[in-house]
Amino acid sequence: MSRGLAIKLVAIALGVALVVVLGFTMTDYHQYQGGIVGYYLIAILGLNILTGYTGQISLGNGAFMAVGGYTTAILVGHHGWGELWTLPVAAAVAGVAGFLFGIPALRLAGPYLALATFAIAVAVPSLAKRFDHFTGGSSGILLPIHTGHYLYWASWICAGIGYVVAWLVLRGRTGRAFRAVRDSEVAAVSSGVSLASYKTLAFGISAAYAGVAGALLAIGAGYTNPDTFPVTLSLYLLIGAVVGGLGSLWGMVFGALFIEYLPIYAQKTYFGFAFSKQAPSVVYGLVLILIMLVMPTGVVGLARRIRRAI
Amino acid sequence: MQQFLQQVVSGLASGGVYASLALALVLIYRSTEVINFAQGEMATFTTYVAWQLGHWGVPFWAAFFLTLAFAFVFGVAIERVVIRPFERGPVLTVVIVTIGLLVLLNGLDGWIWGAEIKSFHSAFPTRPINIGGVAFSLQDIGVIAVSLLAVFVLWLFFRFTKVGLAMRAAAVNPDSARLTGVRVGWMLALGWGLASMLGALSGLMIAPVVFLDPNMMQVVLIYAFAAAVLGGLQSPAGAVVGGLLLGVMLNLLGTYVHPVTPELRLPVALLVLLIVLLVKPSGLFGRATVRKV
Amino acid sequence: MGKRIYALAAALGVALAVLVGVSAGAGGTPGVTSKLISIGGTAPLSGPASAYGTIPQAEAAYFSYFNSLKQPGGKRGVYGRQIQFTYLDDGYNPAQTVQLTRQLVEQSKVFAIFNSVGTETNEAIRAYLNQAKVPQVLLATGASEWGVLAKKYPWTIGYQPTYASEAGAYGQFIVKKVPQAKIGVLYQNDSYGKDYIAGLKKGLGAKQSQIVDMEGYEVTAPDVGSQIAKLKASGANTLCIFATPKFAIQAFAIAAKLGWNPIVFNNSVSATPTLMTIATASSSAATTNGTITATYTKDPTDAKWANDAGMKLYKKIMAAYYPKGNVNDQFNVYGMSAAWTMIRALQGAGQNPTRASLMASLRSMNYNDNPFLLPGIKVQTSASNPFPIIQQQLTRWTDGKYVNFGPLIKS
Repeated sequence: MSRGLAIKLVAIALGVALVVVLGFTMTDYHQYQGGIVGYYLIAILGLNILTGYTGQISLGNGAFMAVGGYTTAILVGHHGWGELWTLPVAAAVAGVAGFLFGIPALRLAGPYLALATFAIAVAVPSLAKRFDHFTGGSSGILLPIHTGHYLYWASWICAGIGYVVAWLVLRGRTGRAFRAVRDSEVAAVSSGVSLASYKTLAFGISAAYAGVAGALLAIGAGYTNPDTFPVTLSLYLLIGAVVGGLGSLWGMVFGALFIEYLPIYAQKTYFGFAFSKQAPSVVYGLVLILIMLVMPTGVVGLARRIRRAI
Repeated sequence: MQQFLQQVVSGLASGGVYASLALALVLIYRSTEVINFAQGEMATFTTYVAWQLGHWGVPFWAAFFLTLAFAFVFGVAIERVVIRPFERGPVLTVVIVTIGLLVLLNGLDGWIWGAEIKSFHSAFPTRPINIGGVAFSLQDIGVIAVSLLAVFVLWLFFRFTKVGLAMRAAAVNPDSARLTGVRVGWMLALGWGLASMLGALSGLMIAPVVFLDPNMMQVVLIYAFAAAVLGGLQSPAGAVVGGLLLGVMLNLLGTYVHPVTPELRLPVALLVLLIVLLVKPSGLFGRATVRKV
Repeated sequence: MGKRIYALAAALGVALAVLVGVSAGAGGTPGVTSKLISIGGTAPLSGPASAYGTIPQAEAAYFSYFNSLKQPGGKRGVYGRQIQFTYLDDGYNPAQTVQLTRQLVEQSKVFAIFNSVGTETNEAIRAYLNQAKVPQVLLATGASEWGVLAKKYPWTIGYQPTYASEAGAYGQFIVKKVPQAKIGVLYQNDSYGKDYIAGLKKGLGAKQSQIVDMEGYEVTAPDVGSQIAKLKASGANTLCIFATPKFAIQAFAIAAKLGWNPIVFNNSVSATPTLMTIATASSSAATTNGTITATYTKDPTDAKWANDAGMKLYKKIMAAYYPKGNVNDQFNVYGMSAAWTMIRALQGAGQNPTRASLMASLRSMNYNDNPFLLPGIKVQTSASNPFPIIQQQLTRWTDGKYVNFGPLIKS
């Protein structure tokens, strides 16, 4: 076994151990928050596959979270399904939606694609209100309540599965094809990579991940309505992916931690000084711009630069 | 028939609102190839500045022009300080930065000026005019007229001035432009400054209609994107036509096509955006660009 | 080598998590110590509904004022316990509300959740709070369900007159005084708007058929021009505006532009004097004159209350503890009225309050001296009545200010 592989395995083992230990020692509320970090992680993992590895910008993964979230909410709230059984269904439904969106999206690139995905993120809350006999309209759908412990384990087990799937997909032919598409579409086509197949596949996979994340969001909150999947959710997912470091699977953990905890810490009082209550947005925007300045390749990129410097 | 005409006229009025912000979007895209997600928030911020000036007792027209001047400086400053470090980088980074700006400015508005609705004086009289049972006001005409005037002035600027030519050169081929002595960096900043002025103009005209609060432009921005794409992201005239067309179309669909309930107006606008992007990305007035390999 | 950094980070993460995870758990009632009662709530401080964000700030001001007073017996606060009120921004996103409410209950260990804003946001946390037996009290929403479902959710209690009862008052008034009315309705397409419509229909009773057109809009609409044009075209001579402030003001502006002058009933949320002044400036005095709404709090811009003890107290507290707030904003008066009620209810919960004793106190209130409500309006609950405030006053916007008329209406 090579040294690099051994280190990787040790790191993974430590990571898993950490997640397990926290899952038994933290307070229930912290496990709840940990569960939220877990499903954000799943969502931005999927986004990373699409944007980081295949080079397709998406400002709309929150919309696919909504698809997954409503699938679960309808199955659980209206048809009495068990929550965990709905997870694969949510993944499938969202995945198909993503794949279908990927087909017309083949014609778009760069800022145009960003705009188109932004459009679906904005449209989803209105659509959810329109089809209110499915979705309960603005009154939403109630689901059973669960402890933080339940959410934590559901999220992190799914995140673990998500990591394994991502690793398998990305190390093989599919992953190489994705990277080829990202690095140069022209070169990819010349080497026989079918742009259409791989781009739509990337959308489908990314959406499936988002679907699972959305389902877990619905389960964790015990409630869904159009306001639980606002546009800002899509924006924050992209932010999390970039801050973590696109093109790196492990960086996504930092991204998920960032988007969960920054709004919370921006609202606290420090040594008697509280930011204005409007502060979360101001701090968020400032931090984002600064992070892009200082470490545009995300936390992972920064870590690599430090490593090289040491 | 009267109902139809009324809906068309109201649609033109709303459309004028979308058109004015769409113009700013088009200008930035055309001069810097950046889709500025923060355009609406920049416009709102400058409109708040105008409100503040009025609050301090500055007379209306003085405040109006002061605000436009401020907006220009503001736009240039943002380009030089915030956007410039990312100009040569990947598209994604710039997108994230404009989103960061969006979030930052939105929070700043609320922090400095609070979240309650504020009234805003209109540059045009709001007295209703009634022709043949169809009502509108000078304000509606004013909004459309100002947008058209802006398009005309822009056209003159780009076509007939040296600076305009330099800006077009900087956008199309920065390296060659640099070789001919064009200061590309400042051209980009100029583009942002002008667009910011247009955004401020848009805000000043819209605020009397939709009232001033931190989220004033958020929804308008989306319709403005749809309008800009419909007209062609590179075409100022297209932005105005796109806006007017979109306004009328949404009103007519909402009135005469029953499945189009109120919830669907926004998705319909977005569907238009998507269809245009897919079928003819250069929009109604744009020229298709061909990438040579 | 890079992986070592990750491992280190992971180890640090454990340390942090353990530190943060240590909770200060003491026995006894959560949120109550010998010096403090800690309560919490959520409100939209950012995002589209952020105009309501002033409400918890006004309440915090009232609590700060109350904490400074010396009570009989020399102590400050409720039986020597000062009120600590924490409010957090949920941006009107129910998923955020759930997370923040859990934080307040499980981490900050508040005694009760007070005056959280919004209908859907409160719905999202209701089951959780009732299951955890945490009081969810004096909610800032006029939905009827809080009272209607009191038996199912005993730990939840509303506060203000419901939207349905307000619209019911309009309906009753129309039947009596505007019998020839042809009614057009502009409504926001969510439970808020629909609650109003249900109440209006109930108040109209047999005369429901006089509603000739209803036009809905989404909060994402940039304007309601199309809807108002349609309402005018339907021949309506009476307009009911069940819309949030921005759209209500627009409705006036567009009606004026179209030369339409119906009798207007404007919902109380959008009819504060500040908003009506903006509406008048955007349309015309002729359009807004005669608009009827219902109210239950004192209006800070009404000269009638200039020497009123309650209004003077309100202005004093605003100046001292919330100077950044708009003293003319009736939402602030509303907030203080709720905070006042909370204090009385806490006092009624006894010297050693428990969550159960707080709920018992809230379900047997009988206060007729709330200084921020109109005289004669009681805050009253009993086993058969779970709605604390059910009286309202109809008032008419006349030449730039409100003139109350008629008796207090009960619904």
